[in-house]
Amino acid sequence: MQILRRLRGANNEGVLLAVIIVVIVLMSIASPAFFTPGTFFSLARSSLVPLVFALGVLLIMISGGIDVSFPAIAIFAAYTTVAWSSEASFDPSIVGVFAIAIVIGALWGLLNGVVIARFRLPTLIVTLGTQGIIKGILLTYIGSTYISAAKLPDSVAEAGDTHLLDVPGAGYLHGMLVPVVMIVVVIWWMLKYTTFGRSIFAIGGDAEAARRVGIKVVRTQVILYVLVGALAAFGGVIFVILGKNANPQTLVGTELDIIAAVVLGGASIFGGRGSVFGTVLGVVLVQLINNNLVLIGVPSTWQRAAVGMLLIVGVSIQALAAMRSRRQPVLVEEEVSKA
Amino acid sequence: MSGNDLNGLRDANQKLDAGFAGIVSRIQVPRGAGRMVLLLVITFAFFAIMNPRVFLNPVNLQNIGVAAPEIGLIGLAMMLAMLTGGIDLSIVAIANVSAITVSSLYTAISVGAGAQTAESLSGLIILAGVVMGALLGAVNGVLISVVGITPILTTLGTMQLFNGLALVWTGGLTISGAPSALQMVGKATVIGIPVLFLILLIVAVLLAIVVDRTPIGRKIQLQGANPVAARYSGISARRTLMLTYIISGLLGGIAGLVFLSRNPSASADYGSSYVLLAIVIAVLGGTNPNGGFATVTGVVLATLTLQVVSSGFTALRLSAYEYAIAQGVLLIAVMVFDQLRFRRRRRASPGSSSETVAIATAKRGKDGTRP
Repeated sequence: MQILRRLRGANNEGVLLAVIIVVIVLMSIASPAFFTPGTFFSLARSSLVPLVFALGVLLIMISGGIDVSFPAIAIFAAYTTVAWSSEASFDPSIVGVFAIAIVIGALWGLLNGVVIARFRLPTLIVTLGTQGIIKGILLTYIGSTYISAAKLPDSVAEAGDTHLLDVPGAGYLHGMLVPVVMIVVVIWWMLKYTTFGRSIFAIGGDAEAARRVGIKVVRTQVILYVLVGALAAFGGVIFVILGKNANPQTLVGTELDIIAAVVLGGASIFGGRGSVFGTVLGVVLVQLINNNLVLIGVPSTWQRAAVGMLLIVGVSIQALAAMRSRRQPVLVEEEVSKA
Repeated sequence: MSGNDLNGLRDANQKLDAGFAGIVSRIQVPRGAGRMVLLLVITFAFFAIMNPRVFLNPVNLQNIGVAAPEIGLIGLAMMLAMLTGGIDLSIVAIANVSAITVSSLYTAISVGAGAQTAESLSGLIILAGVVMGALLGAVNGVLISVVGITPILTTLGTMQLFNGLALVWTGGLTISGAPSALQMVGKATVIGIPVLFLILLIVAVLLAIVVDRTPIGRKIQLQGANPVAARYSGISARRTLMLTYIISGLLGGIAGLVFLSRNPSASADYGSSYVLLAIVIAVLGGTNPNGGFATVTGVVLATLTLQVVSSGFTALRLSAYEYAIAQGVLLIAVMVFDQLRFRRRRRASPGSSSETVAIATAKRGKDGTRP
């Protein structure tokens, strides 16, 4: 029991890792086609975009908020950049594409941050509003037409074909893995070792306490939302690169699925708790199920139900554990008798 | 003597009751109904002036009445969950499952026993749909009140689960077939008013009676306004939350029937944008997302306002995307306006906790923050 508790990790990362291993073992037994490099390459590939979004969701969630506007920011930034570049027939190179998109994303993040921090409004409702505004502006004023692979800037199309590792007959590891892994490491480092990262935890734990120890809550929140906007834009560009097309109608509507993966990764929806490692595991577990249920003979229609069941079981275990450790009713009675 | 005492007590009680009702109405009216009446009149007048020929056309007005009920019912379900400080993200999934239940039951019976039998059993089939909604609501209720999972997490999970089960059930396809009684209701009008709209009004009135005039309604309100006070008043959080989510599921089930009566087909992905729209409606209608305050009137008026804006935009030949912008701007503007007005009051008391209620007392610092 003791060892188990230590292995479990602060946010149940150990449990999640065990579940992933069990799922991998079960799938390997169920289907010989599962345990091949190809499966893992496609798992890595399909995890890239959700992972970047999940990191943004994680940061907001640690600070005690919920963001549902990130898919709208992502597709807005990526589509606007690509559309402008193909219209002006100017290729800003892949770094330029990322840079322009990130600036656009950061500006939308600034709007979120200012409204939320300045007026102290519930984050879910504000980002719900900005989601509508961002999507509406994109489709009304920027464009609503699909940009096919042939019309993408050359640098973007090229980036879509970079392979990190080619295994003949089994598939390849996509080149976009490199920037995503870098972002994961940077966010992990930022959360763990920078004042800014620790401030996010502090604000999520108790905003008033954070303010009293001298953290500039409003400023930190604004910077946080700007950062998350930039992160969303980064994910959006990767989405366009991987899909080799830009469709302004996509992404919006996937926000709750990403939030579910982050929750599965052990982050608390009330803030103050969560880890990059857990989030990576949460995303990988969801993608593992989504990608491979068909392989082991379960119809693909079961994907959503399976993820939903997993999420409910996961949060139930956490809730029951929390209830047991709190023993709240007794505490209240004691307080009363003391008074 | 004792009779006099009793009378005195009764008088005092009535005075207290009236006083409390007065306080409640003073708090609620500016937040919800009053503001929404103004907003509804302004938007209606604006579009009526901008394009009277199209907008004031009886067909257009009827369309507003036909389109409003399904989203209005979902908005009411959302409002009820928010009243206890929770949220119900699974409500659209519940509505779809109940529509699928009715549709596939009807189809199965007509194939097995002939269309005539299916029609004659349509009352039971429709009832099965509503019961399905209440059952799924009870699943939420158990997870929230017994297992103790936060409403937002519970319904995030059950949203995926119910939606997933609906996908499994239909194989991801749109299934068709519904009792003809439902379709008749969908097309019928009474002195020019669509019956569906009357159904929304009837349900709203019933819900308002439940919330404002019954013990369970009072318990729901107190539970949301101050869970600790509710606990010390001997209110069982478990029973209150359970009933809240059952009623919410019931409303979702009725919304599912409305889906079917507008269009005799059901699928797992119908109305996927409705979850967020329902939150918008509930908040616009003056519901406090932290719990405690909400008015049925406000939510109905908010539904109508959004529907008026939607059809007004169509009348002005603006796109659905511009409607999305308007929706977002409206939502944020109303929130900011509220905040500026209530700032002083809010600052005086930190936001009430919104999750598993009684448990929040012990560890205020950690979990008592806004969602």
